[in-house]
Amino acid sequence: MTGSTRLNLLVLPAVLFLLAVYVWPTLGLFRNAFNEVGPTGAMVEAWSLKTGAEVFADGFTFELTLNSLWLSLTSTLIALVLSYPVSLFLFRTNSRFRGLLAVIAIMPMLISGVVRVFGWLAILGDRGLVNTLAQSLGLISTPMRLVFNWTGVTIGLAESIMPYMILALLAGFGQLDRTLEEASRSLGATPFRTFLRVTLPLSLPALALAAGLGFVLSMSAYITPKLLGGGRVFVLATEIFEQATTNTNWPVAAMLAIYTLGLLLLLLAISNIAARRLQR
Amino acid sequence: MSYLELSGLQKRYRDSVAVDDVSLSVEQGEAVALLGPSGCGKTTTLRMLAGLVDPDRGAIRLDGAEITRLPAHKRNMGYVFQSYALFPHLSVARNVGFGLEERGVGKPEIARQVEEALALVRLAGLDQRRPRELSGGQQQRVALARSLVIRPSVLLLDESLSNLDAKLRDTMRHEIRSIQRSLGITTLFVTHDQVEALTMCDRIAVMDRGRIAQIGSAEDIYERPATRFVASFVGRSNVLPATRDAEGRAVLWGETLPVAVPASGEFDLFVRPQRMRILPVSEPVSPGMARVHGRVLRSVFVGDHVEVLIEGVGGQLTVEMQSGSAAPAEGTEVAVAWPLSDTLPFAREAA
Amino acid sequence: MNGAGRVLSGLAAIVYALILAPIVVVVALAFSADSFILFPPSGYSLRWFRQLAGHAPLLNALWLSVQIASVVTLLSLAVGVPAALALAKGRFAWRDALTNFFLAPLLLPTLIAGLALLLFFTPLRLTATLPGLVLGHMTVTVPFVIRMMTTAFQTLPDDIEAAAATLGAKPWRVVWRVTLPLVTPGLIACACLSFLLSFDETVISLFLSGPRAATLPVEMVRYVEGRTDPLIAALSVLLIVATLIVVVVVERLVGVARAVGK
Repeated sequence: MTGSTRLNLLVLPAVLFLLAVYVWPTLGLFRNAFNEVGPTGAMVEAWSLKTGAEVFADGFTFELTLNSLWLSLTSTLIALVLSYPVSLFLFRTNSRFRGLLAVIAIMPMLISGVVRVFGWLAILGDRGLVNTLAQSLGLISTPMRLVFNWTGVTIGLAESIMPYMILALLAGFGQLDRTLEEASRSLGATPFRTFLRVTLPLSLPALALAAGLGFVLSMSAYITPKLLGGGRVFVLATEIFEQATTNTNWPVAAMLAIYTLGLLLLLLAISNIAARRLQR
Repeated sequence: MSYLELSGLQKRYRDSVAVDDVSLSVEQGEAVALLGPSGCGKTTTLRMLAGLVDPDRGAIRLDGAEITRLPAHKRNMGYVFQSYALFPHLSVARNVGFGLEERGVGKPEIARQVEEALALVRLAGLDQRRPRELSGGQQQRVALARSLVIRPSVLLLDESLSNLDAKLRDTMRHEIRSIQRSLGITTLFVTHDQVEALTMCDRIAVMDRGRIAQIGSAEDIYERPATRFVASFVGRSNVLPATRDAEGRAVLWGETLPVAVPASGEFDLFVRPQRMRILPVSEPVSPGMARVHGRVLRSVFVGDHVEVLIEGVGGQLTVEMQSGSAAPAEGTEVAVAWPLSDTLPFAREAA
Repeated sequence: MNGAGRVLSGLAAIVYALILAPIVVVVALAFSADSFILFPPSGYSLRWFRQLAGHAPLLNALWLSVQIASVVTLLSLAVGVPAALALAKGRFAWRDALTNFFLAPLLLPTLIAGLALLLFFTPLRLTATLPGLVLGHMTVTVPFVIRMMTTAFQTLPDDIEAAAATLGAKPWRVVWRVTLPLVTPGLIACACLSFLLSFDETVISLFLSGPRAATLPVEMVRYVEGRTDPLIAALSVLLIVATLIVVVVVERLVGVARAVGK
């Protein structure tokens, strides 16, 4: 339609805003990673790899990386195993409450993370739901340590990424043709065999994408490791925050952030390639 | 110069040509149909007229003025969309009055004209309804009233009846035609339905692959199709593969027919099934008639007529008989005759 | 296949219980009579709501968060909606590239965005200020608004706007009289979600908040780090109710799954 050249100009405010408050600061982050920290702890403008060398020579960085990867792997796997039946249920069900159930499944992502972390404290704490229940049943005599350690963080992270994974899986299932399952049943396969031989193989690409998403989200999560870890769980995310705020060591924080971002991109690429391979 | 002139219009999309070369002249008050299968470029042509698509080449002139690059809102063309495109958030009255409001017409005058337009399309009293509360036929009428009330220079109808059921379509055909005639409004009507084109318009432009294959009256198009495409698209035809004898006459099912045929290449004879008659084998035919022999395969009763399928040495053909006349029994040997003037030879297209 | 089957439904029910557990527990805990986190509580009372009503730091933070979220929502719509309109209706060669540019910030973890903003804002003295927090939140909400509204504009039938044009409406009149009224439900849903996104934004706020200006989630994090009593549960109930209202509104208008999904 004529007059659309002026319409195009409407993108300008958004472009300028993102250039100023997103692109420029992100470039600044990269720039900072090559600054140095002087003997007094003050930042010195430079173009050097000294910070980078320090960060990667430190065994602690390696340990943090392994911690982050392990935490993300375990919570992603737990979340995947739990999300899959919910997504499949939502995809299959004829219930007239389907819409409501879908909303309930993804609603937690709209509820403040702090609130949900607090809920886990009440469930997993020394005098929380699980310990009270186990003690009253006589299963244990002293409370189990379920929060302020890796267990609590893993559970909390798995729960926080589930809504995203359910959405991703549902999107993936959208391409799953129900008549294929019906065909399998009509050929004599039991529901379970049908699941193993038709449904599961066809949903593998969606699983790969959801896993990639969950991994990235848990790698970059800060609130859950911080609050449910109680200062005993060290991952890249917590270290970046500590370096930036408590230590005000910006070059190190920036270098770690770029390193983490690189890892995330690598993981995303792997899950995308895996999804594409599985599609065939 | 005619009232509306399209000359050499062309529109290409990234990998296809929607409209290749369309030229058309329309007189004031005339109704012209753009008839063709989907993808022939008829809707794109209409959208270029309305200013909704910019042509790559060519020109559009209206009443002597060039309007090729004029934006849609300055063209004053009434466009009735296939989807009706009623404004779902506005009442019927506001829908119909939309164009007048945009022209800054005063409120009382808008109310008067809207009422008049709604009466014209027989929707008086529904002015406060929302579009979704109306039936398909009523929505169609609102869309028509909305386009008529602005007194458009040209009324453009895009497959406007295709979403209605068969019976309603019949009624609307006649209504739109009579409104068009009484207002004397120049109309372009895009359709893939030949009955619509034949009944609603003064002239028909048959479109094929982005070009106009033939322009003419309904009778021209039907009786004297200019191309093989027009012959096969408009009406039904028996397509009978024929050969050529030593003197260049057509030979069909072993019978020589004195009709003019293409000088070279393979060709088919097109004959409308309702122009054919079934005769006893013994009955002779007059000189102006073609005649072949065959055996009745089966007869199918299709309501207002009976289709008789006949097999001969060269293939099969269908004869359409009035229902009520007795169809010959299956297996009967019969002769089929038709006027030579109704035999249209067309060269076979390279596949 | 007919429905979900008993095994699958059972599994789903268990997972639903897990999903809802923290939220249900928080709500129950809010009415606890105990002075520490004990679940199930030994008694029930409204004492933590009364406590909350007198807790100045949290209430101040709540008020600041409401202010910030309101400003963020208005500004994000003002910047994002025109861009979405242009992306959906305009015709230009680099539209795909621009769309990716607008959506990229949604992929950047807030941890990294927050750090980048901290480094950028500190020399400008924007940290721990209302403008700084607003701009920081907008790096999340502006791309979100653009994504959601581009979809909303694209799903409008083209013919309706074309009809307005053929009836004589100038391009901006078409936008005003047809396009905007038709996307109003999407616009309201988008505003609600932007408000919620800003109100709940925690990580960027943690980077940008100081002692002078702390948003509610930041104040809550600080509180939870220091003490473990049910006060935060009482506050959480308010947040959950507010979220539910937004969810219901959004679901009614456009559907939650469509709004937050791709």
